[in-house]
Amino acid sequence: MSSSLLHPPAHLPPSVALKLSQGAPALLRTTPSSISSYSLSSLFRAAETPELWTVYENLMLSCLRTGDEQSAHLCLERLTNRFGADNERLMALRGLFQEAIAEDDAALQIVLKEYETILNNDPSNMPVSKRRIALLKTLTKIPEAITALNQFLESSPTDAEAWAELADLYVVQGMYQQGIFALEEVLLITPNAWNMHARLGEVLYMAAISNDFEANKYLSESLRRFCRSIELCDDYLRGYYGLKLTSSKLLSSSSQSSKQSKSDTAPLPTSTVERLNELATAKLSEIVRRSAGGEKGWTGYDQAEVIAAQALLDQDKVSITR
Amino acid sequence: MAQVPVQTIHRDPQLFYWILIPITVVMILTGMLRHYATVLMATAPKKQELPAIKEQRSLIRGVNLRANQYNISPASFEARKNYLVSAYETGAFLKDPEKKGQTAANPMTDPAAMEGMMGMMKGNMAMIVPQTLIMGWINAFFAGFVIIKLPFPLTIKFKSMLQAGVATRDMDPQWMSSISWYVLCIFGLQSVFNYLLGSDNAASQMQQQMGQMGPGAGANMFGPGQDPDKQFQSEAENLAVLAHHYILEGVEDRLLETVKVR
Repeated sequence: MSSSLLHPPAHLPPSVALKLSQGAPALLRTTPSSISSYSLSSLFRAAETPELWTVYENLMLSCLRTGDEQSAHLCLERLTNRFGADNERLMALRGLFQEAIAEDDAALQIVLKEYETILNNDPSNMPVSKRRIALLKTLTKIPEAITALNQFLESSPTDAEAWAELADLYVVQGMYQQGIFALEEVLLITPNAWNMHARLGEVLYMAAISNDFEANKYLSESLRRFCRSIELCDDYLRGYYGLKLTSSKLLSSSSQSSKQSKSDTAPLPTSTVERLNELATAKLSEIVRRSAGGEKGWTGYDQAEVIAAQALLDQDKVSITR
Repeated sequence: MAQVPVQTIHRDPQLFYWILIPITVVMILTGMLRHYATVLMATAPKKQELPAIKEQRSLIRGVNLRANQYNISPASFEARKNYLVSAYETGAFLKDPEKKGQTAANPMTDPAAMEGMMGMMKGNMAMIVPQTLIMGWINAFFAGFVIIKLPFPLTIKFKSMLQAGVATRDMDPQWMSSISWYVLCIFGLQSVFNYLLGSDNAASQMQQQMGQMGPGAGANMFGPGQDPDKQFQSEAENLAVLAHHYILEGVEDRLLETVKVR
């Protein structure tokens, strides 16, 4: 059993997911089809481990991603045999399976109806209410999804995942203020998540370029967020990318209008911004160079992100030569 | 110095087959039986209702805000603080707001707390009943038997441990009585049960005793007898007096100092 099956498959690249799901029939054949918890025969067999069920769950998700519905159904059946059909998490997994095999929107509507019946009977079923929100998002009913998420967070305000989802939905709708609020909530729950700091920086940047009013305040806040995310995670590509973007923007805007809007923190002196811009440029080109050279310890970057960083650097060069 | 003569007692070898082995086998079988009985009797953890979840998580939200306040800007912090403090003080998050201000209910009358206590009772009964029965059985049939001689010498202090039920003053502590063998089995079969039933079995009573001594501190936070309103009030106070500082203050200078491009 490969160790990657023990991690949630959401972050696996497609090739790995494909490999896992291709190995699914063989894996399902080798593992016992049912393990009952109270029988004498369990004395002589290998003990049941929690890992096995994690593997089944993740395998099912990988199989659904690659369209191997047969194996996914087998996984679901075995999980149901073990934990019973009224287990909260299994209810959500079964709903997920039905969503995956649904042919069109009408079928999805039926699944949504099912979720609503479950939630009417038991409003505290967290996994199913999360599935319902995700399904609303799939059906592009964004305002409904936002309302449902707000209701969910009303009763469970310590769920970082839900806050992050809410932030994304708000940003999609262009409601940056609300998005920023939700991301701040995420940071209150997971204070050292550098990717969340960078994400907040990105949303602040979007807010800054979408309205001229107080743009500088947002920009400097955004720049500081990126600084913090780099402080938490050295050589963080997204952090440096954002740092370069915001500092260039700040430099160009401060040359246009020198008036500083009032902000919570001290305004950034232009010299600091310039130095930060230089630092980000140097660091970005270092990352691009080393990652392209395949140096040891520098290969973990996402290809698309490295290309984007390269494009940003090229853009800069063009504007200098012009 | 005169050599102390080695004590020899002629034992019927049948003692070995008809006392030592039966006691051991019975102990193992009862352990397994107890494990399965506990598994069958265990009640599933009770599902929490939505208002109860809300009450707990809202309190945790306040604690989170207090702990990680440095991550958000002073304005955001101020807004959240004002909201949470006023909501805490008015009891907006309470499971049943009309009960606010009343004294904490007696934990004995709370059905949820009673259920928890019943679970504990069941666990204890599953231990005490078989233990009493086997002890009675051994006392009735095998009292006073000396069953084995340990292959190593022991000091006199072990006499009370190894020769329970055999009142002879001069017998060497190497000799072991049936009741002592039983006591030894109670504590010594842990690894056998681990092998047979998996490591988190209900038969190993040492774990149970440990569990009773120090229940998790986290469980106590919302345990019975705690008045959630009091917790909310104290949390509101903690939040209200908190001095906020912002981690993004001066982060750019810190960064410029630490990061060097190679």
